[in-house]
Amino acid sequence: MGISEYFRLAIRALKSNVMRTALSMLGISIGVAVTILVVAIGQGATKSVADQVNGMGTNLLMVHQGAREMKLTAAGRSTTSTSTTLSSSTTTTSVKATTTPQGTLTLADALMIEKMFPESVQAIAPQVRGGVQVRLGSSNASSNVLGTTPEYLVVNNSTVRLGRFFTAVENAQNMKVCVLGSTLAENLTGNSSANLVGQNISVNRDNYLVVGMLAAKGTGTGGPDPDDVVVIPLSTAMARILAITTISDLSISCVSPIMMPLAQQQVTSLLRQRHHLVPPFPQNDDFVVRNQADLLVRSQSVTKTMTMLLTAVAIISLIVGGIGIMNVMLMSVKERTREIGIRKAIGARAHDILMQFLVEASIISILGGVAGAVLGVVSAILLASFGGWNTIVSPTTLIVSIVVSAGVGIFFGIHPAQKAATMRPIEALRYE
Amino acid sequence: MDRVDLVDANVELLLRLRDITKEYNIGGQEVYALDGVSLDVNVGEFVAIMGPSGSGKSTMMNMIGCLDVPSGGSYEIDGAEVSSLDDDELASIRNKKIGFVFQGFNLIARTTALENVELPLVYGRIKDRRNTAIAALQRVGLGDRIEHTSSELSGGQQQRVAIARAIVTQPRLILADEPTGNISTLQSEEIMQIFQELNDNGVTIVMVTHEEDIARHCKRRVEMRDGKIVSDQPIEDRLVAKDVIEQMKSQAITRKPLALAGT
Ligand SMILES: Nc1ncnc2c1ncn2[C@@H]1O[C@H](COP(=O)(O)OP(=O)(O)OP(=O)(O)O)[C@@H](O)[C@H]1O
Ligand SMILES: [Mg+2]
Repeated sequence: MGISEYFRLAIRALKSNVMRTALSMLGISIGVAVTILVVAIGQGATKSVADQVNGMGTNLLMVHQGAREMKLTAAGRSTTSTSTTLSSSTTTTSVKATTTPQGTLTLADALMIEKMFPESVQAIAPQVRGGVQVRLGSSNASSNVLGTTPEYLVVNNSTVRLGRFFTAVENAQNMKVCVLGSTLAENLTGNSSANLVGQNISVNRDNYLVVGMLAAKGTGTGGPDPDDVVVIPLSTAMARILAITTISDLSISCVSPIMMPLAQQQVTSLLRQRHHLVPPFPQNDDFVVRNQADLLVRSQSVTKTMTMLLTAVAIISLIVGGIGIMNVMLMSVKERTREIGIRKAIGARAHDILMQFLVEASIISILGGVAGAVLGVVSAILLASFGGWNTIVSPTTLIVSIVVSAGVGIFFGIHPAQKAATMRPIEALRYE
Repeated sequence: MDRVDLVDANVELLLRLRDITKEYNIGGQEVYALDGVSLDVNVGEFVAIMGPSGSGKSTMMNMIGCLDVPSGGSYEIDGAEVSSLDDDELASIRNKKIGFVFQGFNLIARTTALENVELPLVYGRIKDRRNTAIAALQRVGLGDRIEHTSSELSGGQQQRVAIARAIVTQPRLILADEPTGNISTLQSEEIMQIFQELNDNGVTIVMVTHEEDIARHCKRRVEMRDGKIVSDQPIEDRLVAKDVIEQMKSQAITRKPLALAGT
């Protein structure tokens, strides 16, 4: 008896009870759909994290203020170090701005790093950040202000889409010019590729001239949108908007990948010395130096944990689906005990009966698997286009999940099928 | 045309039962459904098994049909000792050598007559199933009902599908457990006509029946009681189903009650 014969028998049995078939497929379908969706989200997240980290720039070191454990230290010392920073710091109290608390990292630190390590450090971009209200005509948006120097563009691997970036002169003169990120442009005009060059926008009720539009960097997962930003000269941001004298972080572009460990070490020891820190390190550090590889590993370990959790959910739902199939098959065997007896009486071997029920279970799970795959892919697409999630469905995922669902069907179909196959013909025939 | 003598002339043993017992343990008490049955059936015989309810007729038929195993004794079919065969060999004997007609029709539900009849051919891995199955259905007069499922057929028609299924593999032995229970007299006669035709063609038939009129279509009458064979005799005044049917039809036209005895 060929496989096509078992197939025919199974199809007829499944057709004769459509409702039962559909219900048992449902479990497997949901299992496979969840699996595909989960893997799609996991792979999408991993990819966007990688993209985001790589998009930050090449050979990048980042220095953040604050201790490794995010605790703010050395409150007393910050007052002494602020005096060494900008001479032109005119504190504006007229405008309220939210910002990270005053830290210990200063512009002078940045200038010293640039001056002392030309063999390893190519460029350095000090940065300050804060939340602001941006207005264009009648439209209003909450956004982030980023104050930096023209080096930012090259250090952080950003490009200007329209117009230009501000110049060193504009920075030195506290000019009120700005460059806009694509998300902010969209929030203001409804169009992410709008051209606002030459127009005036208001940042915390102060007018700024738009000189350029930034190309989109793309959204990562979890982190803030790097394109929801208005970039202005560092000195302008520190003096006019944030009213601070320390900087939030430094982006350092190294000469080459080989120089990165050296640069990291040089920067670390220089900052320890300048901040008068005493061992033990790194516990007593008031800053953190990170490189891209660290970041990638850190964020990928997060997405890995998430993927593992979701995969556990997927496996559980596949098992539940399999148990559903087993229940339905056991019911089906019981219901058709007499039929099994008849088949045996007219010459069916145990193997024939086993195959009939196994093929039946496999059809349920494969059809359920395919339906689930379609469901999973569709929801991954919907999630990407309406939820803004980054999802990646690979052919491997599809094939593996369908194969696994078939495996689940066969695994959970074996017990009922064996039960049917080993029945004694006379007992099966007598079954009421 | 007397084939009985022809077969008797060169006797070939088909079934050989010796001291067959079957015991059931019910509530700690041993019940003998078969209590030392010995029986020889030659090729070409047509045996009626009779006896009161519970006398062990079905139990013996199930043994002969290799559906059940005896507790003791020996049983040979076609020279092979059944207790020495494994499950697949038994399945093969059921498929190729034996056609079983059950009392309760035992057709597979929601399945057409044709598919039911094809099934033994499927399990026998035989090709050209459809035409063979249609031929078997035509033989039992159901050539126009092949696509009907059992719920769309009368009791007599269902029994004829069961017979078609039993004969489709051209077995040497037909076992029928009360094939004429629960159906009308005319339909019973039609079934007996099919059996008589098969027997005329050399098929051995063993049939359980409660009805004396049906048993008289056979050639040999075995009577059981309490799991034992109490009498075993040839049938002298044999009925021919074809004649009985003709008589019934002519009587139906003149609207007289059926009178079968003394034909
Ligand atoms: N599975 C079983 N378990 C226990 N006892 C059984 C079983 N099958 C049959 N018996 C007993 O065996 C005896 C013979 O049963 P069997 O079915 O052979 O009778 P029968 O002659 O076919 O009767 P009937 O004419 O009513 O069909 C009965 O007493 C019955 O109770
Ligand atoms: Mg009986």
